[in-house]
Amino acid sequence: MAGAIIENMSTKKLVIVGVILLLFQAFSFMVGGLIAPSPTTAVHYLATKCVDSVRHHQSNKWFMPWGPNQCDKIRDLEEAMSRKIEANNIVFAVHIPLPNKEMSPWFQFMLVILQFDIAFKMYNQIEDGAMATIDVGLAYRDDTLSEWTEMAHSIEQRKLSCNFTTSKTYENEGRYYECDLLPFMELGSVAHKYYLLNIRLPVSERKKVNVGIGEVKDIRLVGIHQNGGFTKVWFAMKTFLTPSILIIMVWYWRRITLMTRPPVLLEKVIFALGMCMTFINIPVEWFSVGFNWTWMLLFGDIRQGIFYAMLLSFWIIFCGEHLMDEMKRNHFSVYWKQVGPIVFGSFCLFIFDMCERCGLNTHRHTHTHTAVHGLFLTCCFSTRGVQLKNPFYSIWASDVGTELAMAFIIVAGICACLYFLFLCFMVFQVFRNISGKRSCLPAMTKARRLIYEGLIFRFKFLMLVTLTCAAMTVIFFIISQVNEGHWHWGDYTVQVNSAFFTGIYGMWNLYVFAIMFLYAPSHKRYGEQQSSGDAGASGEDVQLTTTITHVDGPTELYKMTGKEAQE
Amino acid sequence: SCAQPILTHCVVISLIRPVSVRYLAKLSSVGSISDEETCERLRGLIQRQVQICKRSVEVMDAVRRGAQLAIDECQFQFRNRRWNCSTLETMPVFGKVVTQGTREAAFVYAISAASVAFAVTRACSSGELEKCGCDRNVHGVSPEGFQWSGCSDNIAYGVAFSQSFVDVRERSKGQSSSRALMNLHNNEAGRKAILSHMRVECKCHGVSGSCEVKTCWKAMPPFRKVGNVIKEKFDGATEVEQRKAGTTKVLVPRNSQFKPHTDQDLVYLDPSPDFCDHDPRTPGMLGTAGRQCNRTSKAIDGCELMCCGRGFQTEEVEVVDRCSCKFHWCCYVKCKQCRKMVEVHTCR
Repeated sequence: MAGAIIENMSTKKLVIVGVILLLFQAFSFMVGGLIAPSPTTAVHYLATKCVDSVRHHQSNKWFMPWGPNQCDKIRDLEEAMSRKIEANNIVFAVHIPLPNKEMSPWFQFMLVILQFDIAFKMYNQIEDGAMATIDVGLAYRDDTLSEWTEMAHSIEQRKLSCNFTTSKTYENEGRYYECDLLPFMELGSVAHKYYLLNIRLPVSERKKVNVGIGEVKDIRLVGIHQNGGFTKVWFAMKTFLTPSILIIMVWYWRRITLMTRPPVLLEKVIFALGMCMTFINIPVEWFSVGFNWTWMLLFGDIRQGIFYAMLLSFWIIFCGEHLMDEMKRNHFSVYWKQVGPIVFGSFCLFIFDMCERCGLNTHRHTHTHTAVHGLFLTCCFSTRGVQLKNPFYSIWASDVGTELAMAFIIVAGICACLYFLFLCFMVFQVFRNISGKRSCLPAMTKARRLIYEGLIFRFKFLMLVTLTCAAMTVIFFIISQVNEGHWHWGDYTVQVNSAFFTGIYGMWNLYVFAIMFLYAPSHKRYGEQQSSGDAGASGEDVQLTTTITHVDGPTELYKMTGKEAQE
Repeated sequence: SCAQPILTHCVVISLIRPVSVRYLAKLSSVGSISDEETCERLRGLIQRQVQICKRSVEVMDAVRRGAQLAIDECQFQFRNRRWNCSTLETMPVFGKVVTQGTREAAFVYAISAASVAFAVTRACSSGELEKCGCDRNVHGVSPEGFQWSGCSDNIAYGVAFSQSFVDVRERSKGQSSSRALMNLHNNEAGRKAILSHMRVECKCHGVSGSCEVKTCWKAMPPFRKVGNVIKEKFDGATEVEQRKAGTTKVLVPRNSQFKPHTDQDLVYLDPSPDFCDHDPRTPGMLGTAGRQCNRTSKAIDGCELMCCGRGFQTEEVEVVDRCSCKFHWCCYVKCKQCRKMVEVHTCR
């Protein structure tokens, strides 16, 4: 009999383990669905139009939209017209959050999306390819009385992609264009209580700045942050999962080291998978509550990326090691063809992510080479340690950036396709070999038959579990995308999106846990192996050794061949 | 005093008239309704509304803007019709047209309820009001609640405020009269015009911007869109009458072959007058004499229908038009003046 626990376990025990895992699975869904609030909140902000009577461009004058010391406001642009206020003297002020509320480090991140309300006028239409140049300053403070401290200041360009759905006639003057959402700002940590945005749209006809952008009536922002409640539940979950996976890892590795042979490739890969899972699990995010670590988003992405890459590699190697052909593998280099695309694709996504999350500071009107240059030089880790350079940077804002980003995504997509082709081909090969072996199973010797049956069972079991997990992920993903986000169920509100996150996260943890537990070398036969270890191999089984050494371990073989010899 | 049973009349006249008369005063003091005493002085509010006004003074400025918005939108939607939503300097502001249970009254009620909800929601988003969103919903009653699960959408507050402030006039009269039922229905239909046309917008922000994590929110439609929706409902409004259904009274279509109206449709009780002639006994019945019309159109803005068959006179007028203009996004227009001759048709 082969060596993994799963093969030696009685059906009854296997069912018990399955039920326990299912209970934990249900629990992880319930934690998200019933305790946690929805993962994120979007808050609407309408910018207040303030008048900057003497242009305080250089001085640290900040305009507050409400509360004490609020700015000199104008209701609408007709009022500005009648008061002879120029466009350059209008400041759009937004205070985040709304009155009587405070931001908190538990929000983890904050994205801000910008929308222009642009009215259609026959003689003042948006020109094709119009760019809005936005002069924006961001300040913070931690109590309502202190002065504002500048956090960032930048002049950004955003392409206006607006269309007017009705006919462009005098009748329809005053209707609004339908404009795409513009990515505006991204903060990797919410360390302060109050934020203030001052936005200007400076006009210069000579430099062709903000000319032909139509009649801007209002600026609306949408601020998105993670809900504090969700963050807390998520951290609690991670804190609980870390030791569970860590313990099973230690247990697993102890089992492997107890064996006389060195660990085979598959065992190492399973261990590496456990390590990646732990790496994701370790709740370093707790520090983000106390420290202003802006790179947390990027770090989270990297951890997630490493885990995905490892999981994909694991599937390939697992298939390869169960191919049951006459080739000897058991070495990582055999799989370079399959693992290569994963590594390359992940690397592309990593570079893309660096540039997207870091706020790399490219100049306006960059050429490709400066963009690529800037990409590697001024990414995150350049000045001021690992401080976000420019929270207003968006890779999608410039054409070069968009092309680069698209290139990375396309390359990553091609890699993903290649990978899935390889994987499907391998799975197909395994099944072909299984059916081939099955027809000649009765003709084999008992030992050989048991080995093959064990192989087939192990493969099919993992295949089933993996497919179930993948299907669950896809199904819940679709549900959470299609649904409104919460279901009402009597008095209870079930947060579908939160349930999706905690449930799927819990599921992959249980998956790794189950693999480490079930595919660990079995303890049962361990003692017997050594006693019968010196038996010679019969001629028939020599060939077999090369095929399955790497999965079963040579000791198993010695044992079986020893039995054969005794018979 | 304001005897009309309509919110818009009274609030509009109370809130807007002092402003429209003293336009400059508005510019210098924007927050015109700032203390509780002002609530007492506002003509036309019933006692319950004065209470609400005192309780939430900060909202009243938004209500005033909403009322102005309603008038502007009404005049835009009806610019080509015989009744063009013209307002009077005297009470009631829309004239007597809307004191009867006509289609036009239905429109005015719907657009005012919608505009109050709209303006209050906007005021919430700009931070003018302190108790939006977070105090209506079960979630997030306090700053801790906001930090745990965020607040509900501001539109919920806007609609709820519109319901409490606008509908209280009808509710205080009891549900018995058919006019109250009609007004309540049309108020709700106006608010539904906003609610059912909220745009859902989403942003993906998962790993590398993937849609693994996606946040969606509902954005209010522009008010012009709300006006268009209510105008469509006006065109397809249902004539109803009051019937008893058990203990309650309900409105059902007068013509039983018509399918029953939904809660988004406008309903009216009385047929509209033709609005052709000036009637000095009916305030607001200005007639169409002197109105401009379109000679080539066969629709209601065409001279045939607009002038009610009285004929029209044509003048050639020199119009100074703006041409080859340069615009900035705000506040700056530099144009040449172009003069051209235009034929203007006015009803006799």
